[in-house]
Amino acid sequence: MFTSATDYVSGILAGDRRTLARTITLIESVLPAHQELARKIVDQLLPHTGKSVRIGITGVPGAGKSTYIESFGTMLTEKGHRVAVLAIDPSSTRSGGSILGDKTRMEKLAVNDRAFIRPSPSSGTLGGVGRKTRETMLACEAAGYDVVIIETVGVGQSETTVASMVDFFLVLMIAGAGDELQGIKKGVLEVADAIVINKADGDNINRAKMARREYEAALHMLMPASANWSPPVLTCSSLFSEGIETIWETILDHKQRFIKSGEFDVKRREQALEWMHFLLEDGLRTWFYTNPEVAQLLPGLKKDIAQLKISPTAAADRLLALLKR
Amino acid sequence: MSQHPDYTKWQALAEKQMKGKSIDTLNWNTPEGITVKPLYTAEDVAGLDSVNTLPGMAPYVRGPMATMYAGRPWTIRQYAGFSTAKESNAFYHKALAAGQKGLSVAFDLATHRGYDSDHPRVAGDIGKAGVAIDSVEDMKILFDGIPLDKMSVSMTMNGAVIPILAGYIVAAEEQGVSHDQLSGTIQNDILKEYLTRNTYIYPPTPSMRIISDIMSFCSKNMPKYNTISISGYHMMEAGANSVLQTAFTLADGVEYVKAAIKSGMDVDEFAPRLSFFFGIGMNFFMDIAMLRAARFLWHRLMSQFNPKNVKSSMLRTHCQTSGWSLTEQDPYNNVIRTTLEAMSAVLGGTQSLHTNSFDEAIGLPTDFSARIARNTQIIIQEESQVCNVIDPLGGSYYIEALTKEIIDEAQKIIDEIESLGGMAKAIESGMPKMRIEESAARKQARIDQGSDVIVGVNKYKLADETIDFEVREVPATVRDEQIARIEQIKASRDKDLVAKALADLTEAAKNGGNLLEAALPAVRARATVGEISDAMESVFGRFVATTRCISGAYSSECEAKPDVINAIKQRTTKFLESQGRRPRLLVTKMGQDGHDRGFKVVASAYADLGFDVDISPMFQTPAEAAKMAIENDVHVVGASSLAAGHKSLIPALIEELKKLGGQEIIVVAGGVIPPVDYDFLFEAGVAAVFGPGTPIPDSADRTLSLLEKKYLS
Repeated sequence: MFTSATDYVSGILAGDRRTLARTITLIESVLPAHQELARKIVDQLLPHTGKSVRIGITGVPGAGKSTYIESFGTMLTEKGHRVAVLAIDPSSTRSGGSILGDKTRMEKLAVNDRAFIRPSPSSGTLGGVGRKTRETMLACEAAGYDVVIIETVGVGQSETTVASMVDFFLVLMIAGAGDELQGIKKGVLEVADAIVINKADGDNINRAKMARREYEAALHMLMPASANWSPPVLTCSSLFSEGIETIWETILDHKQRFIKSGEFDVKRREQALEWMHFLLEDGLRTWFYTNPEVAQLLPGLKKDIAQLKISPTAAADRLLALLKR
Repeated sequence: MSQHPDYTKWQALAEKQMKGKSIDTLNWNTPEGITVKPLYTAEDVAGLDSVNTLPGMAPYVRGPMATMYAGRPWTIRQYAGFSTAKESNAFYHKALAAGQKGLSVAFDLATHRGYDSDHPRVAGDIGKAGVAIDSVEDMKILFDGIPLDKMSVSMTMNGAVIPILAGYIVAAEEQGVSHDQLSGTIQNDILKEYLTRNTYIYPPTPSMRIISDIMSFCSKNMPKYNTISISGYHMMEAGANSVLQTAFTLADGVEYVKAAIKSGMDVDEFAPRLSFFFGIGMNFFMDIAMLRAARFLWHRLMSQFNPKNVKSSMLRTHCQTSGWSLTEQDPYNNVIRTTLEAMSAVLGGTQSLHTNSFDEAIGLPTDFSARIARNTQIIIQEESQVCNVIDPLGGSYYIEALTKEIIDEAQKIIDEIESLGGMAKAIESGMPKMRIEESAARKQARIDQGSDVIVGVNKYKLADETIDFEVREVPATVRDEQIARIEQIKASRDKDLVAKALADLTEAAKNGGNLLEAALPAVRARATVGEISDAMESVFGRFVATTRCISGAYSSECEAKPDVINAIKQRTTKFLESQGRRPRLLVTKMGQDGHDRGFKVVASAYADLGFDVDISPMFQTPAEAAKMAIENDVHVVGASSLAAGHKSLIPALIEELKKLGGQEIIVVAGGVIPPVDYDFLFEAGVAAVFGPGTPIPDSADRTLSLLEKKYLS
C-alpha cells in the first residue's frame, strides 16, 4: 500500500473503494503516525467536501435502524444518489473485541455498487466517536458520495455529537411496549429534526398512529431550534418500503427552507467552529497530559490531594502555571 | 420425595469409598440444566403418570405402536442424493438391493432455494449437497425403475415444496400411479428453517399458507402421504440441547396444527399424517428419554384440540444420528459414534432411522461408507436381538426419572412460547434462535477446554492423520449437464401453455386457491422449479433473514480454563498497540448453504477473544463478500463452507479480492472440507484450512500467527 497522503487523496478522488476504506482505517487508528497521515489526507480532501446531504439516524436498540437504512438507502440509490453509511457499533464485549453485524440487515444495500457501508467499533479507540466519524464523513464526500448517513445507537452520548455534524438528525422509534418516551433521552428529542415511527405495518399500524400522536404532543412542549422548522412526526414501514419516500422529501424540504433562510450555511459554519473548538479542547488535553513536567508533577499532587496536604484548586493552579511558562 | 429405606446406609458406604467426599460431587449437571444423580431408585419414579403405561396406548411413552419392533422393526431409511438425477437413481437402486427399505431424497441447495441450475447465484452449489432437480424430467429420471405406488419416498424439502411435491406427483402420474397410491413424507417444516438452516424462500406468512395448502390437498387426494415432518434434527445440529430440541419441535408442531385448523380443516383430517424428525446425539440415555418424553408431551399438547381419532395425538418419528458429532479426525471412530446414536434412537422407539456414513465430515458418502452405515442398522435389527422386547428400558429408574425431567423442562419452555403468542411469534422475537445459539456457543467452549471429550479431537489425538479410503467428489460437469437439459426442455415445450399455467399460479398466489393444485398444470407443461418458484415469489417476495449474534456466552463457559483464552487476548491487544486497531475478521458464508451455526459460534468466540468481527449476510456471491471485505478493510476473511461449494467459491473470492485491490487480505477456510482438497485450496491462495472439530482457540491461534507474521515481524 502507498504511504504518501497524495496517493491516498488521488485514490479517493478517483472513487476507489479500497483507498477510501484504507483511509478510514487510518482515521480510526490509535497510532499517532496514522492519525498524522490521516490529518494530512483530510486536509487535502477539504476542497472536495461539503456537497453531500448529511443525515444522522439514531434510535433505541430494536427500533429497526439497519432495516430502515436498507430501505431508505436503496431508494436513494435508485434515484441515482451515491450513499455512504457509517455505522457506529456498540456491541463490544469485555474483551475489547466486537461483533459488527449491521450489514446482515442491509443485505441489498451492502452489495449495491452505489453504496459504501462501513461499520466501526465504538470501543477501544481514543478521541471518541466524534473525531473519527466527522473525518470519515469528509472522506466519503470527497469520494463522491452525495448522501452520508451516520447511524448511532440512541443510548449514550454519541448522538448529540453526531447531531452536531449533520444537516438533518432523524430519531427512529417504534410503537408499543408501554411508556413511549422510555429509553430515549429528552436531549435527543431536542436535537431531532424529525421523529419517525418505524414498523408501521400489519397489526402494528394503529399502535404506530397512536405513538405518533403522543410524540407530536411531546414535541409540542419543546421549543423548536429554528423558526423555519418544527420537527414532524412521521410513520413508515421499512419492511414494506412504505413512507420512506416522504421522509426523503421532508429532508429535502428542510434543506430547501434552510438554504432559503440562510440557516444552512450558518449551521454548517457553526458546526465547523464547534468542530474547531472540539479539536482544540481535545488537542489541549492531549498536549497537557503528555507534557513531561505535568507527567512528573501530577502523581505527587494526586497523592497530596488525597492526604489533604493541598487543595484541588491549588494543585490545578500549580499544574496550569507550568504551561504558562 | 421419599428415600429408599437403606439410602443413608448406601450413602455412607459410597462416601467412604470416595474418601469422605460428599456423594453430591458425583452429580452431573447436564447442558439441559438437569442434575443427574449417580444412583436412582424406585422412589425417584414413584407415582409418576409417565411410568408403567402400555405401548400403542396413550400417553404413548412406550411407543406409538402396540407391538413396536417385536412386530416389525423400524424402517431403515437412508437419506441420499447428489450430483445428477441419474447418478442418484443408480445409488438408490444399489441401496434398495442391499436391504434398505425406504427412499429419502436429498436435494441440492439451489433446488431448496427455488433456483434453477442456470441461475448465476448458485453456480457453486449445483449437485453438491444433494441432487439437482430442475423439472419433472429430472424427477422422472430420479425415480426411474422405482415403482412409486410401492416405494415410500421421503423428501427433505421445505423451501421449494410446491414445485418439488408437484414434480413428484406428476412423475408418478406419468408412471401410471394415481395420487391416492403415493406414500411417503415431505419435510415441509418451514418454521425451523427460519430458526436454523435458512433454506426458505418466502416470508413466514405465505410459507405457512403453502403448508396448509399442501395438508389440505393431500388429505383429500393422498391419504397415505405424510404432509409434514416436524424437525428437531436441524436444531440439534445447530447446537440445541435435548430439552430445547424437544420444546421447539413440539411448539412448531402446535403452530402447524393451529394454522391448519385456522384454514378450515378438522384436526382429525390432517393430524394423523403429521410426523416428526429428531436428531440423536452422543448423550446416550438423554436422547432415549427425549423420544419417550416427546411422545408424552405431544399427546398432552394435542388434547387441547379435542381430537376424536387416537392417531391425531400419537407422535411418530424418524430419527437421524448426529452429523455434527462426526469428526474429520480419526474418522473410523465415527462408525462407533453412529452405532451408539443408532442404539439410542432404537431404545427410544423410533419409527425409521438414518445412520450417517463415517466419512460425512470429510465428503459425500461413497458406496463403501454407505454400506457400513446401512449395515449398522441391519446388524442391530438382525443380529443383536434387541427388537424382541418392546421398550426394554421402560421401568428403569434412571430412564423414567430422566424422561420426567425432560417432560417438565420442555413444558416450561413450551409455556414460555405460548406466552409469547405461539412459535411463529416467538421466532419473530428471536427467542428460540438466541437460545439455540447460546447452547451452541457453550457446547463449543466445553469442547475447546476439554470438559466435553471428543476422541481424536481434544483427547487421544493421532499424531499422523492419513485417509486410506475413497472420498466422493461431485464432478464439475453437473452444472453444465443440468443447464443443457434446461435449454433442451425450454426449446421443446409449448411456450404458451407454460406461460398460461404460470400466470394461473401467480393468480392463485395473489387471490387464493390451492397452490399445490395450481402448480400441477405448470409442472405437467414442463415449467422449471425456478419458474414455478418465481411465479409465487412475484406475489410473496423473498425472505431476508436478520443475523443476530450473541457475545459473551463462549468466554463465560471458558472461565474455568482462562489461560489459553488470556494468552490470545493478550496477543490481540498487542496487535492493537502495534497496528492501531484490533485484528479485523470478516466471517462469510457464500453460496446457498444456510448452515449458520459454525460461523456464528466463530464470530461470537472471536469477538470474545479480542477480534473485531464483521458478519456478512447469508447466501453471498464471492463478489459480494469481496466488496464487504474491502469496504470494512478487514485483515482476514474466514469463509465457512459446509456444503461442498468450497472448491469453486473460495478461489472465486480470492480472485474478486484481487480485482478490488485486496490481494493482501488473508483468506482462511473452515467447515466440512475434505483433506484431499487442502492442497487445491492452498494453491488457490488460502492461508489456512480449519476442518470440522478444530477448537476455536487453535484456529484463532493459527489465524493470529498468520497476522503476526505479516504485520508484526
